[in-house]
Amino acid sequence: MLIGIDVGGTTTDAVVVDGNKVVKTAYVPTNHDNLLKCLLAALDELVQGIDTRKIERVVLSTTLITNMIAEGKTDPVALVLIPGPGTNPKDYALGKSIILDGAIDFRGKEIDRLKESQIKEAASQIRTQGLSRVAVVGKFCQRNHAHELKVGEILAAALPGGKIELGHKVSGQLNFPRRAATTMLTAATKDRYELFAKDVAAALKERKISSPVYILKADGGTLPLDKSLQMPVETIFSGPAASIMGVLALTKAGRTSVVVDIGGTTTDLALILSGKPLLSAKGARVGSLLTHVRAFAVKSVAIGGDSAVAVSCHALTVGPHRNGPPLCMGGKGPTPTDALRVLGLSQIGDAAKAEEAMQIVAEGLGCTAKEAAQKVVDAVVDKIVFEVNEMFREWTEEPAYRIWEIMKKEMLSAQSVVGVGGGAPLLVPLVAARLKAAAIVPGYASVANAIGAAVARPTLTLNLHIDTEKGEFSVAEEGLTGRVTDQKMTPEDAGRLARRLLAERAARLGIGEYASEAEVTYSEFFNMIRGWSTVGRLMDVRMEIPAGLLPSWGGC
Amino acid sequence: MSSIGKAGKTGLIFFPAFDWAISPTHPEREERLLYTRDQIFEEGLMDLPAIEEYKPRLAEKKDVARAHFCVPDVESQVTEAHLIAAGSTLTLADALEKGEIRNGFALVRPPGHHSMRVVHGNRGFCNINNMAIMVEYLRTKYGHKRIAVIDTDVHHGDGTQEIFWHDQDVLCLSFHQDGHTLYPGSGFVNEMGGPQALARTLNVPLPPGTTDEGIHYVLDNLILPVLDDFKPDLILNSAGQDNHYTDPLANMRFSANGYARLNEKLAPDLCVLEGGYAVETALPYVNTGIIQAMAGLDYSHVKEPDYVPGRFVQTEGMKREIEHTVAQVQKIWDQRDELVAQALDGAGDFYRRKKRVFYDTDMINENQEEVVRLCPDCAGYMTILTSAQRGYGILNSAFCVSIPRGACSSCRDDAKEEYAEHVDDKRIGYVLMQDKDKDKFKLYNNMIRTERGY
Repeated sequence: MLIGIDVGGTTTDAVVVDGNKVVKTAYVPTNHDNLLKCLLAALDELVQGIDTRKIERVVLSTTLITNMIAEGKTDPVALVLIPGPGTNPKDYALGKSIILDGAIDFRGKEIDRLKESQIKEAASQIRTQGLSRVAVVGKFCQRNHAHELKVGEILAAALPGGKIELGHKVSGQLNFPRRAATTMLTAATKDRYELFAKDVAAALKERKISSPVYILKADGGTLPLDKSLQMPVETIFSGPAASIMGVLALTKAGRTSVVVDIGGTTTDLALILSGKPLLSAKGARVGSLLTHVRAFAVKSVAIGGDSAVAVSCHALTVGPHRNGPPLCMGGKGPTPTDALRVLGLSQIGDAAKAEEAMQIVAEGLGCTAKEAAQKVVDAVVDKIVFEVNEMFREWTEEPAYRIWEIMKKEMLSAQSVVGVGGGAPLLVPLVAARLKAAAIVPGYASVANAIGAAVARPTLTLNLHIDTEKGEFSVAEEGLTGRVTDQKMTPEDAGRLARRLLAERAARLGIGEYASEAEVTYSEFFNMIRGWSTVGRLMDVRMEIPAGLLPSWGGC
Repeated sequence: MSSIGKAGKTGLIFFPAFDWAISPTHPEREERLLYTRDQIFEEGLMDLPAIEEYKPRLAEKKDVARAHFCVPDVESQVTEAHLIAAGSTLTLADALEKGEIRNGFALVRPPGHHSMRVVHGNRGFCNINNMAIMVEYLRTKYGHKRIAVIDTDVHHGDGTQEIFWHDQDVLCLSFHQDGHTLYPGSGFVNEMGGPQALARTLNVPLPPGTTDEGIHYVLDNLILPVLDDFKPDLILNSAGQDNHYTDPLANMRFSANGYARLNEKLAPDLCVLEGGYAVETALPYVNTGIIQAMAGLDYSHVKEPDYVPGRFVQTEGMKREIEHTVAQVQKIWDQRDELVAQALDGAGDFYRRKKRVFYDTDMINENQEEVVRLCPDCAGYMTILTSAQRGYGILNSAFCVSIPRGACSSCRDDAKEEYAEHVDDKRIGYVLMQDKDKDKFKLYNNMIRTERGY
């Protein structure tokens, strides 16, 4: 048996899955002040009457990190940058930082040396500010770790008890400001996340659940809870990821779908293209910060069942804010939920109150209450359809850097619109009709998120960079480097090295049994020519275990 | 968050053509923009609110035919890479015209400024002229009248010059390393354009070793004042990067900071990358600096690892030579109207010239006979008889007819007659018609007697 629990924005949903059957579901309202408590409440309700010894795996998705960042409850971090030549670091919206001399270039060559006295000065500055957590990030330090390591070493010695995160350990992809933001967020959330993880582990032990516990990441993959302590930021946005994995689990494989999760004030949209959830191109945006966190591309639109409906100068607006619950459910002003009630599309709330709500709108527009209700629903559907089309457009217009990428990009359109979440069943058919796609509201749509968490498999990415002229390789994800001795290394050799390194990394993360699922998703090979002869090769290989479902879940 | 609206953004297309090369070890190979990619991606430039990245598109064959006579046809002269590089410039042109961006930079390869009006093959690493294709597109689609093309590549922009040689409305100004010392061996002060368009082509040959100081002298004392006089609708920069002090194919001493400052002062509406072959030591820094300058960002932190301000100092002799050249060109510009009047006085109805063009990359020798009608009512139609031989291989010949925008009815009729007269003339392989006024392009194959159009 598998357990999936999604601690969402309004409710915490939980399911028990056995094979490809949903055995039991449970819901409790989410208490943002104590996520652990509501997680355990949902778990306790769920496992009543269930033999906990038969539980093989527990997967959690949680808004913990998302909330911490949104509410500004993260720990303060000193940001130390080694930017080298290029952009003025002030042009990055990273907040306050300490700038050090020293520079590494794109090939990983040192082009400017560190100044030890300057680093010591930085340490005393950090001490004066009373900070103990430090993020150290250097431009191109993923290609040569020496500067970050040296700075980290000096700071550690000067700041006893300090916790230092190095950029190259957090992310190895190109994009210095994103690496800096991701490293800073890692340092800011690590301790609190660790506390939470420990509490979860203790609580499960208390309930005699001894199965492995996993956490769901933003890219729809699971990771053992204890291994996730190194990368807390990866768990951000795991809620939408859970819903998307749920849709994958509950619909036919290989289709192109729009996932629509209509909530009270926001509607989350995501795309599944030919069966593969679309990832955001460069990494997730977390608040005002752009990061390297791999995440599904989710667009939050400020419209939902509780959005405030207003009329000014005969123009109708829906959202973006909420003025309390719908009038038909005891609120003060008109909402789309009232409109649906008037049109007979839903039976939620008081019919007379809903009529009253639409009458308010009708007066402003000079029409009947029923016409007003239709206009409100049309406005909601228009907005969602517009945003879905924008998502497809943005996807087709993602920059490409090779001829074949530009030539082969296919045009895709939605085959189905899949609704999850409370508001879905009513509006999804209307959205689907406009997009000329099939409307699907799967059974268990309301707990699709928890099912997604329960049956998601691990994901893993490995970016390997090889420079045969320098005789070096580096792995972006964990700051691993090594030597290559073969100057004439072929692309096939590089692929084999990537596969071996990925298997080793998977084993370290406790997901070794999935390593064989890894596939090469990107590779590039350049001959370095100096004068008229080849002096070496630069090769990049990205290997991934993509998001997917456990084999035991045979599908719906 | 920044308050910069989209209209204040700098549009950027980065198309490094990582799967295209002239040959594996050629300077114009896959690796050329690799380190530039690393640098601008690592800088996170595409994420900055001042910059908007666009996806390249393929130019249509018609877009190519608007600027070139490709012999025998467009398909034979371009690969997908060429169409994407050219198409990128058009995407940015559209974004600019729609008001989505304030300015734009097409950081693309392969380059184009050595491609002339007639194309038999590749010369100077170029097959088709991205800049000229963009200029013709901007004029046709958006009705721009006056456009200035400033060529800042170290090599003379001979292709662009040749395409707009007779055009009064396109100012082609190129500064470059003296043609006595560098490919393509042209670009001297006395190359000033056809009789109707004299001084709308300006050339500033510079001595090898010219530094930031010299190039900025040309900019401040010649280019900017000329632009003030010419008052173009748009300023375009053929932005080669091989004036850099580390370029392996040229001998100048320009720096990344000098390039950035040049673009800040010139304030081009659109930039198109041309050459530049110091793939590790110059391109990453020069491109970063140009992007920052165009986007109004601080570029003072961009510096080549081995550069120190004041590293290169011009000799007095060099300085005097540059000042002398600038004075000569300034004089030509000041006398532009008299020069045209003198040239047209008693010139007759037609202007004729014979030319030889050598395609260094493809080893093709071309002979051309060009005729332009000196029409009082319009820019006058043009014909070109061309024949070209690749090594000892086949000889390709064509008769090309061009009808200008706003052609008078007499020029239009005569041009059509010229086309008709050469159809089925067995001495010539192909007959091509470029009707810029109606934006229609056709070609007739005399061997298989078929006509088709773009």
